Amino acid sequence: MSNTQYSGVKVKRFSMGFVIAHAVNAISFFALYITALPMYTEWFDWLYPVLGGPEGARLLHRIFAIAFVTPTFIWLIMDPKGFLRWGKELVTWKKRDIQFFTEFVKELFGFKFKHVKQTFFNAGEKINSLIQIATAILIIGSGFPMWFPDLFPKAVVQWAYVAHNVGFGLAIAVVVGHIYLSVIHKNSRPGYTGVITGDVPAEWAKDHYTEWYEEEVEKGNFPDLDKNKNKKKGA
Amino acid sequence: MAEYIKYVDVTKCDGCRACMVACKNWNDLPAEPEEFQGSVQSHANVTANTWNVLSFIEHEDSKGNLDYLFRHSSCFHCTDAACVKVCPEEAMHYTDFGSVNVDSDKCVGCGYCVQNCPFDVVQLATYKDKNGKEYKKAQKCTMCVDRLEEGMQPACVTTCHTDAMEFGTQEEMLKKAKKRLSEIKDKYPNAMIYNPEGVGGTHTIYVLAEKPSVYGLPEKPKVPTSAVVWKDYAQPIGKMMLGATSMALVGAFVSNKLFNKEGKGHEEDGGGSHE
Ligand code: SF4
Ligand code: SF4
Ligand code: SF4
Repeated sequence: MSNTQYSGVKVKRFSMGFVIAHAVNAISFFALYITALPMYTEWFDWLYPVLGGPEGARLLHRIFAIAFVTPTFIWLIMDPKGFLRWGKELVTWKKRDIQFFTEFVKELFGFKFKHVKQTFFNAGEKINSLIQIATAILIIGSGFPMWFPDLFPKAVVQWAYVAHNVGFGLAIAVVVGHIYLSVIHKNSRPGYTGVITGDVPAEWAKDHYTEWYEEEVEKGNFPDLDKNKNKKKGA
Repeated sequence: MAEYIKYVDVTKCDGCRACMVACKNWNDLPAEPEEFQGSVQSHANVTANTWNVLSFIEHEDSKGNLDYLFRHSSCFHCTDAACVKVCPEEAMHYTDFGSVNVDSDKCVGCGYCVQNCPFDVVQLATYKDKNGKEYKKAQKCTMCVDRLEEGMQPACVTTCHTDAMEFGTQEEMLKKAKKRLSEIKDKYPNAMIYNPEGVGGTHTIYVLAEKPSVYGLPEKPKVPTSAVVWKDYAQPIGKMMLGATSMALVGAFVSNKLFNKEGKGHEEDGGGSHE
């Protein structure tokens, strides 16, 4: 069960490094997507004039391609601890992660579901991260031979087009789902403001990322919501 | 319309290069000063502004004799053309004559065709517009489609003084090639008709005196597998996936509205609904 009304108590979820890296990633991905569309399918040829012709589109695509490579480094440099936690969580899979998905499907389509205790990143976010890492490697890795065809054997350049296409297809599917969850789907929406401001409602954080929340409470970083509730009830 | 073929019998060519000149001339192509190639050959390969290059090959035959081989080289006008397959703008297209042409208005200079032509034929030419901004367009032999449309033959064919080149219907030209092959087999045991199946056959076919590789041609050219995977599978599936993801989201959105009533904050209801 979800609850859209929160008490107003906020807790820090995302570091500045993460917020910036995420924004650069999102903006450059979206810009790459737009500048590539007319080359991907003729339905979007009307974008050419908007983008300054095919030359303009290609130039922009390359500028944003450079931006697209930077978020990993931004996050790593500004918030190495958070970055390492991410890496560690991505390779740690437990029973709760599998359970998460059966409940998540119910939640996604608006049915009753229960929260499975999750750490900082829930299983869905982990899958999202993993696919995005894989697709980013595909897209960036194949982008080089396409940009500098003279430096690579012809067969590598030719297969790069395939890899770029496959990477793009997968990435956009995952990203669309990711955006839907954060912007439209109401149970996950606080994550959206969270990724921009760094802060999320405490109750939401506790519901969705219980294990992480409890850890932070133990460290004394976050308020213990149960205590507050009991107090309120008692008053 | 019947398909037409340019038939090139390299054993009749005497390397006069009149076809190169005729091509430049008819198609108004600028001169391209080149570095010395180490032989009589003028350009290493066809380029965006030189659609027709005569290659000169010094070849030692099986008996150890020196043979000087010539080949008029230009676009092959593949039946199953990789350049047409990969072009995202439908700028590369088949003409009514069965040849392959570039529509310069549609070409955006992406170079996908350049990367995929199995014969390294098509290239990008750089132009400057009125404002000094540079742009690129793919260029290659057009089979003189503008002449064909007027009932004329390609400029290079018309100009050839040894009849090394002829132009006619597919059937006629293939017959001619076979006949010629039987005539020269004694003199050139390695002779063959070059009309590679990997690209569905071509509309510029050759009677070669030696193996293709001697002429710098691929023995078994084909439409790159990567181009097939990319254009026939990856891209259509990608487009479908885009559609399917969007549908799933619409589905999720609608079912949320239908089933997840209790999660709704009251403030969203405005004054409209009274239960
Ligand atoms: S030879 Fe190259 S440029 Fe000519 S039709 Fe074939 S693929 Fe296209
Ligand atoms: S360069 Fe022009 S002709 Fe070649 S694939 Fe791109 S749009 Fe098509
Ligand atoms: S057919 Fe026309 S464009 Fe092609 S090589 Fe001959 S003269 Fe040049």
